[in-house]
Amino acid sequence: METKKKILIADDDPDILAQTKLLLEERGFDVIPAESAASALKLFEANDIYAAALDLIMEEMDSGFTLSYKIKKTEKGKKIPVVILTSATYLTGFKFDATTKEEKSWLKCDAILNKPVDVEDLLMKIEEYYSGTL
Amino acid sequence: MVSYSKAKILVIDDEDALRGAVKRILEREGFSVVTAENGARGISLGTTDEFDLALIDLKMPDYSGLDVLREIRKHKPNTVCFIATAYASYETAVEATKMGADGYILKPFTPEELLNHLNSGFKKRVLILEAEALKNEREARLLEIAFERTRLNTVIKSLADGVLVVNTDGEVVYYNNAALKYLNLQDIVIGRPILEELPREIQDLIFANFTSEITEKKSFSVEVEIKPKHELVVEATLSPVLRQSGKLSGVVIVIKNISEFKKVEHLKSQFVSMVAHELKAPVAATLGFINIILNKEMNLSREQEVDFLSRSRVRLGSLLNMVNDLLDISRIEMKTVMREIKKLDMNQIISDTLGMFTADIKKKDLTVIFEPKENMPEVRADHGEISRLVTNLVSNAIKYNKQSGRVEITCCQQKNYAVLEISDTGIGLRKEEQEKLWGEFYRAKNEFTKDITGTGLGMPIVKRIVDAYSGKIEVESKYTEGTRFKVYLPYNLTDDELNN
Ligand SMILES: Nc1ncnc2c1ncn2[C@@H]1O[C@H](COP(=O)(O)OP(=O)(O)OP(=O)(O)O)[C@@H](O)[C@H]1O
Ligand SMILES: [Mg+2]
Repeated sequence: METKKKILIADDDPDILAQTKLLLEERGFDVIPAESAASALKLFEANDIYAAALDLIMEEMDSGFTLSYKIKKTEKGKKIPVVILTSATYLTGFKFDATTKEEKSWLKCDAILNKPVDVEDLLMKIEEYYSGTL
Repeated sequence: MVSYSKAKILVIDDEDALRGAVKRILEREGFSVVTAENGARGISLGTTDEFDLALIDLKMPDYSGLDVLREIRKHKPNTVCFIATAYASYETAVEATKMGADGYILKPFTPEELLNHLNSGFKKRVLILEAEALKNEREARLLEIAFERTRLNTVIKSLADGVLVVNTDGEVVYYNNAALKYLNLQDIVIGRPILEELPREIQDLIFANFTSEITEKKSFSVEVEIKPKHELVVEATLSPVLRQSGKLSGVVIVIKNISEFKKVEHLKSQFVSMVAHELKAPVAATLGFINIILNKEMNLSREQEVDFLSRSRVRLGSLLNMVNDLLDISRIEMKTVMREIKKLDMNQIISDTLGMFTADIKKKDLTVIFEPKENMPEVRADHGEISRLVTNLVSNAIKYNKQSGRVEITCCQQKNYAVLEISDTGIGLRKEEQEKLWGEFYRAKNEFTKDITGTGLGMPIVKRIVDAYSGKIEVESKYTEGTRFKVYLPYNLTDDELNN
């Protein structure tokens, strides 16, 4: 039997985490939940991760970016899609976006999705990454 | 104005008979006459009193008439003087005229001769006085204009707003120091071109709207960020200065510092998006659970459904708390709280508050120490607000305490303050956490706080209440060891201060 693909999810809202986990498991994935950026990084290192979805605001306003930067710096991280989930346009009044190549290289993530996140959208981004259309 | 009806004349002559005769003649003609029997007396009268005319004998035993003339002219240049003498010589006449005598009367003279001289002298005197009055008036007006000018200058210089006037050649005509400051310029020189040094936005406005075809007195405003990050933001209002002919002669730029306003505006919008974000989280979580429950494909067990529903209920409960807290904050902020100022018994409020937390205290097995002080003066304040303040502090002391910890509360009088101290042996706060404590929605995130729920609005509310009563609050804390809050509430606030 084929082992399930592992998706790492980081969110400091335990309810959202539980929901996303359930929905992704329903779609046949193995979900590794993390409630903080620090534990997410540890879990990423310890597991064979297929994709990562990180909440932007955890301990800090930009925890998600820092975490994705750290993941993308590793050899392992360069080969998987990292998606940042955000509902934040505030504080800077600055809208995050990662559509152009330049933005992606600067942001060190492959896509940004608005919260609450639709698992279908998330899975589509992951698929696009692996098919090279992202 | 001088009244000319009655000329006042000083007659100086050492000859008694002549003095008497002259006095009689002149008085008959309506003159008011003062006589002096020698030069010394003549000088003293003529230099102190105001005479229209003076008739001075040239030869007197003590002084020469010329000396008397000189003295009088020196002090009273407007008195018309005549020299009277028996032996006229060309030289003395010339000398007397040089010294300012207006005429020369030969002795002996007939009354007609005398009156002729004096009447024409008096006419001259009237002219002199009128000219003098005119001159004085003009000088006074000039002085006033000069004064008006400096006053206007002072007013403009002391204006809080910057003022800069530029002519159609783009040269500075006028500026005040505030303009220098608000445009962040080192120096402005009158007469030098300035447009290039002005911010782009202002230049654009000038070029777009202030052309020579302008006919209307219409003003234009623009907001300019002079220094970034809201450090200096100004609003420049440009108005045309038109000549009488209607042609443009320049532009007046009034520069207002709106940095504070901008900062507040920014804080407000930041607060709004922060609130929106905080409100969104529980709504999104609840919605997520409902969607999962309604999703047939999920095949949830009954236990799972119940779990998700009760989690939703917790989130909605906290959402409601948050909304209530926000309403409190906005009410305090808008000062629309209808304060009902009463004398409050702090001991009673503390005991009542502790009563509300009995269950939580028991659950955590906490030791609470509170010994009410006798004879505590009453605090004048709104009961609801002070209870809310105590409740928030006590709730935190319990919530962030460790199992079997202690909470100690004292309330006593220190000078003009009622001082409330609440200390706990809880998880404490790191230095950087202490600094952020008063911000809305701030919740310390560390290994201990993970499972403690809250909205992060308790402390901001406490702070606002303390501020509303002109009090202060201090925090002392050691991470992992405990925290102490000290609230100072002033006695003796006036009713006005209490209702701000
Ligand atoms: N006595 C205390 N000991 C340790 N930490 C505290 C204490 N009081 C407050 N804090 C910290 O300050 C934060 C803000 O407190 P605040 O009362 O504003 O919010 P809250 O308790 O999280 O939520 P609520 O709005 O329900 O009171 C808390 O989350 C906690 O991290
Ligand atoms: Mg609290």
